[in-house]
Amino acid sequence: MATTDAGHPTDAHGHSDSAHGHDGHGDHDHDHPSYLAHHFDTPEQQFDSGKLGMWLFLVTEILFFSGMFCAYAIFRAWRPEVFEGCSQFLNTKLGAINTGVLLFSSLTMAWAVRCAQLEQHKQCACLIATTLSCAMVFLGVKAIEYSHKWTMGLLPAGLYSYDPANPHPVGGPNYLAYICAPFAAATVGVLIWLIISYLRGAKFQFAVAKPLLVVCLSFFGGVGLGTILESGGDDSEHGSVHVAQHDDHQHGDHQHGGEQHGGEQHDGEHSAEHTPAHAEPAVATLPAAGAMVDDSNDLAVLKRLASDATNTGLQGELKALEAQDKMSGGAITYDDSDDSSATIAASKDNVLRPSRAGVFFSIYYCMTGVHAIHILAGIGVLIWLLVRTMRNDFNRNYFGPVDYIGLYWHLVDLIWIYLFPLMYLIR
Amino acid sequence: MSLLGDLNHSAFFPDSASSFSSDSDWIFYFITVVCVIFFVPICIALFGSAWKYHKANGEPADSQIDHNTTIELVWSIGPSFLLIIMFYFGAQGYLNHRTVPEGAYEIGVDAKMWGWTMNYGSGVYHPELHVVVNESTKLTMTSQDVIHSLYIPAFRVKKDIVPGRYNYLWFKATKASEKATAEQQAELDRVAKKNKETGESWSYDDHQFTPDGYRFYDLYCAEYCGTNHSEMQTVVVVHETEAELKAWIKKYSARPDGVTPAAYGATLYERRGCKSCHSTDGTKLVGPSYEGSFGTMRQLTGGSPVKVDENYVRESILYPKAKVAAGYQPVMPSYKGQLSDDDVNSLVQFIKSLGDPSAAGGEENNDTGSAAAETGDEASAAETAAGDATETTPQN
Amino acid sequence: MSAGSLRSGYEVNDPGYPTPQENYLTNSKGVLSWMFTLDHKRIGLMYLIGVSVAFLVAGLLALGIRLHLLSPDGALFNTGFFKWLAPEKQPNDIYNQVFTLHGAIMVFLFIIPSVPAALGNFLVPVMLGAKDVAFPRLNLSSFYLWVAGAIFFVMALMASGLDTGWTFYTPYSTTTDSSVILATTGAFILGFSSIFTGLNFIVTINTMRPPGMTWFRMPLFLWATYSTSIIQVLATPVLGITLLLLIAERTMHIGIFDPEYNGDPVTFQHFFWFYSHPAVYIMILPAFGIISELISVHSHKRIFGYRFIAYSSIAIALLGFLVWGHHMFTSGMSPMTTIIFSALTFTVSVPSAIKVFNWLATMYKGSISLTTPMVYAISFIFLFTIGGLTGLHLGTLATDLHLHDTYFVVAHFHYVMVGGTLVAFLGGVFHWWPKMVGRMYNEIGGKISAALVFIGFNLTFLPQFVLGSRGMPRRYATYDPEFQALHIMSTYGALTLGIGLFIALGVLLYSLINGRKAPANPWGGATLEWACTSPPPYYNFDRPPVVGDPYEFGNIEWDAESDRYVKVEPKRKVVPSETPAEKPAHAGE
Repeated sequence: MATTDAGHPTDAHGHSDSAHGHDGHGDHDHDHPSYLAHHFDTPEQQFDSGKLGMWLFLVTEILFFSGMFCAYAIFRAWRPEVFEGCSQFLNTKLGAINTGVLLFSSLTMAWAVRCAQLEQHKQCACLIATTLSCAMVFLGVKAIEYSHKWTMGLLPAGLYSYDPANPHPVGGPNYLAYICAPFAAATVGVLIWLIISYLRGAKFQFAVAKPLLVVCLSFFGGVGLGTILESGGDDSEHGSVHVAQHDDHQHGDHQHGGEQHGGEQHDGEHSAEHTPAHAEPAVATLPAAGAMVDDSNDLAVLKRLASDATNTGLQGELKALEAQDKMSGGAITYDDSDDSSATIAASKDNVLRPSRAGVFFSIYYCMTGVHAIHILAGIGVLIWLLVRTMRNDFNRNYFGPVDYIGLYWHLVDLIWIYLFPLMYLIR
Repeated sequence: MSLLGDLNHSAFFPDSASSFSSDSDWIFYFITVVCVIFFVPICIALFGSAWKYHKANGEPADSQIDHNTTIELVWSIGPSFLLIIMFYFGAQGYLNHRTVPEGAYEIGVDAKMWGWTMNYGSGVYHPELHVVVNESTKLTMTSQDVIHSLYIPAFRVKKDIVPGRYNYLWFKATKASEKATAEQQAELDRVAKKNKETGESWSYDDHQFTPDGYRFYDLYCAEYCGTNHSEMQTVVVVHETEAELKAWIKKYSARPDGVTPAAYGATLYERRGCKSCHSTDGTKLVGPSYEGSFGTMRQLTGGSPVKVDENYVRESILYPKAKVAAGYQPVMPSYKGQLSDDDVNSLVQFIKSLGDPSAAGGEENNDTGSAAAETGDEASAAETAAGDATETTPQN
Repeated sequence: MSAGSLRSGYEVNDPGYPTPQENYLTNSKGVLSWMFTLDHKRIGLMYLIGVSVAFLVAGLLALGIRLHLLSPDGALFNTGFFKWLAPEKQPNDIYNQVFTLHGAIMVFLFIIPSVPAALGNFLVPVMLGAKDVAFPRLNLSSFYLWVAGAIFFVMALMASGLDTGWTFYTPYSTTTDSSVILATTGAFILGFSSIFTGLNFIVTINTMRPPGMTWFRMPLFLWATYSTSIIQVLATPVLGITLLLLIAERTMHIGIFDPEYNGDPVTFQHFFWFYSHPAVYIMILPAFGIISELISVHSHKRIFGYRFIAYSSIAIALLGFLVWGHHMFTSGMSPMTTIIFSALTFTVSVPSAIKVFNWLATMYKGSISLTTPMVYAISFIFLFTIGGLTGLHLGTLATDLHLHDTYFVVAHFHYVMVGGTLVAFLGGVFHWWPKMVGRMYNEIGGKISAALVFIGFNLTFLPQFVLGSRGMPRRYATYDPEFQALHIMSTYGALTLGIGLFIALGVLLYSLINGRKAPANPWGGATLEWACTSPPPYYNFDRPPVVGDPYEFGNIEWDAESDRYVKVEPKRKVVPSETPAEKPAHAGE
């Protein structure tokens, strides 16, 4: 195959301003090393291309997350109190542990890149395996966090079913088991592979399976760690739950003409801030609110609807109930403020719409969920990298993949560094 | 059919009937003239060069000049001044649209798939928009379901109606609608009467008058909102005086004396948007047809059946999502607070009048005892409902 | 031809340098060799076939729209055939689904990948003088992502259609019962296809340039592709997350966009247009690149204002990120925001105008060959100018309040997207067709197609400007009778346009069977793709190309005997002050 004749005297064509970055690399002609793809001239060119490509990919990743950060910023600006209140539900200890684990994995990853460059293959493989284990610990802790919240009904707006009167309902599905099942299956699979490769004397496979088993087990280490911290922090967390619970009642009562807080209720300017944090809590207070709903027929309908917590149409009916009071009087009750400020938050709250808290958890699950998917993807490529490292594929001229995946891993870490304070530390 | 059919005004614009129209059209023509001034030389250069410098293969070009910084800077920066002028006039016009004068006459607009409800206060709702000439009118608009957009071409105004927000719009109509002559009005009344008998809806396009005998301007929904987006139209009538508008409002404020509830229900069915989703001839539209529905058993989405009686109809009007008929989407908006109790009752009577007597009869034959009991229940329930309503109404 | 006058460097017509028997089309055989090819040229060709099929489908849907609008109450979808085809659907529903799919398929499956992915894949490495793109496997995967996205769209169509409009505005898209999730998943996947293509081109242009190929010796098509790629990489992820959130909104009601759950639909519009406005430039910038090549090559004259054109591409790419709000002038942004967006919108019109003037100046005093590609290029300038100028009416706030969401907008963007991008795409295909397949097509047939496309297009969309300014809202399945005459005109135009397009397709396909064998350089272009054989060999260049000025036509001469352009010793100095010292395109060492 014809390769570029880098000694080609291009300067002879005039245009001496041209940048010749490759003139010095003519000596790779006709002997492409196996790791050098045919369309590249030099390993340097290949490495540069890969690195630029990776950086561009990271740019797209950042922009991908930036959409969610924007949503976060918009909704937090509209409803700061909801965000602060709901942040109570997040366990700071678990978040902090995860932050530490990821930071440590970034260190081991960076070190692994260095080892790859120095051709310290064994050490490199160890470090990659450590990185992988950290990722698994992270996921294990996350599994505890998620399952705990799902059990409590702290879900995105449409599924939100948290009941402050009964924060820990019994009899729901065991979410933790569902999350752990695929990891358990993977662990068993690796174990079987390990045994078979040992019996068959497949040395390389055995060598790969060993660290992978450790990695798989790390997940359960993370789960254990999370469980200990979750229960250890039970008191403080429950304290915060009760605070939030109190908030809920407060908000709910305000909207329903709560007698105790009646004074604030009429403050139309701020009604947005006093709307219930959750729809369902609002439902829970309905019997008490019966006093104001004098049309018993309507109330009956509302009650029936409210009995089904998943009936998302509920809010429309509550809205109608409220609107009827005003509108059937004959007045045009529209807000007349300038529409520039008539955002959802600022418009006089025409709505007993569902859980504002739900929006916080929506954003929480979207951001941490997408981040967790990135961790999972990272685990996938790191395993591939581990195998290649153990095969001694990399050398001082060719360590691009380790470098690129290192960059990716740092980005995933970095995003978590932003997520942690924005989600957990805002009260 | 003819392109020249309504060239009585302008080739490019509909009627000019608001204080914004002349501004908007002036800017439009200004931009168009500027564009033509650029476009014609561009075309001359384009086709001229193609004709003049068209040469056989191999003949060299007359020139190989490849840049001239002065010319390039001139044509880069020069037109920018024209752009600034356009921007300035545009922004100024826009600010006029956004600055509502004090004391504008207020009308509420409720948009829903696929109809308009104008709220004139005092419980008067009507799908037509009626305003007074030379008086600033402010529309405060909400949507119950998806995004709509209120567009009156003759007034050159448009504003999206976003659920969860209040958007407003104002204009000052400058041209009052013509009124029908006496014989035209007589003809319109005749058609209206006939329509009432046949259940046909009023065709604005055919008659070019509203049933009340006014010429009108079109009002469209300009933001795509689903199946019948293109039928989400109504009309604007501009009255000569406020007194005339008030008189018109009075005419529509309640069920007129001497009209039976069922007949008035038919009017409401026309006017309040029911007909865009419910047919009266058995056709399956977005919602179930009214024909022959009353008195039958209906399967609900949840699986349980329910009898279509006064209570069910009433509940479905006020809480449409409570019991959704199987095979239909829960898309109907609530009419709670939008219909007076008499209105709801009228609608119930109207639907009852379309009920299928044979079905009801058959049921009674099958199960006389319980049916009789049910009927009794219904009657008492209807009474309760009516009682509740009378309780509620004065309170409000 | 006199052998003595031939430049023998890399010129493959050199008698001393035998034309290789193998080219990229023939060097390996079988379906699998195509399916798993890493060759950018084959991937480009597969894209070309793919986007053409998508265009055919979306074009037929467009014809359906036009036929339906023949009558104020709707025509086509009221007929018995559609009652039989979809008995449960109303004609309005069918119309809504048809215009939605027309828009979505045209935008996501055709226009966005048309020039960058189909022509760009074929041309970027060849024009650059590289052997391939930087990441050939990523390139292939991006093609298969396109296929996967297309399959999702087909599934959406088969399931229950899509009736949201291609913009997927919430809350309609979160409440309608059509297959929004399938379609958005498709668009999400197509987004990644687009990102990978863009990323690949940026890296290729940055790191794969051979010695001598400096930034300012790159053909303008590469500049346009580079700018496009920047937008693809920076804007598309935002579409990705928006669609992901939309899917989550539909499945879990996350309450970010849906007012029912406290979300805000206008936030969705901001997110959506933050991608979709720059996407407009993804569609039009590569077209600018094509036109710059076409005008220069077929005028046999150096492109006028190379640097202005190159920089204006970059300027458009960057400014394009700042103007998304002009799609939302009526949606209730604050007046200040609205005015700022209007002002920014005007700024973006300047670089586009620069390009038009430069193209005209290139044609001035050139030696114009009125070939099919040139006819397309001329109609592009005409149509795009109309499209651009009518943008001013829409950028001006006071008039936009009247024109927004009317047929005026429809006509405006069709002038830009069809009159602009599609015509440029056709021009580009006709221009590079000999290079791609190694066959010449029938010139007369090509010109007839260009004329019919031009006439049909204007007949279709000029009336729509009037419809719009007279107040006909867009996306209407039925309309007031007063608009009928203009709609009928528009429909006849659409039929003409359709015939023109079918003729173009026929001319190209016929050339495969009966076309004259294409010479390496049929038009006299000076960029590197004309320096390799037609079709090019597997690695593009049998010998490393000598990079020269991409717009130096002085040493390319018409050889009437062999009916082709050949490279010659420079016989004369052409405007010595302007052209840098004549590069002796010299013989191989």
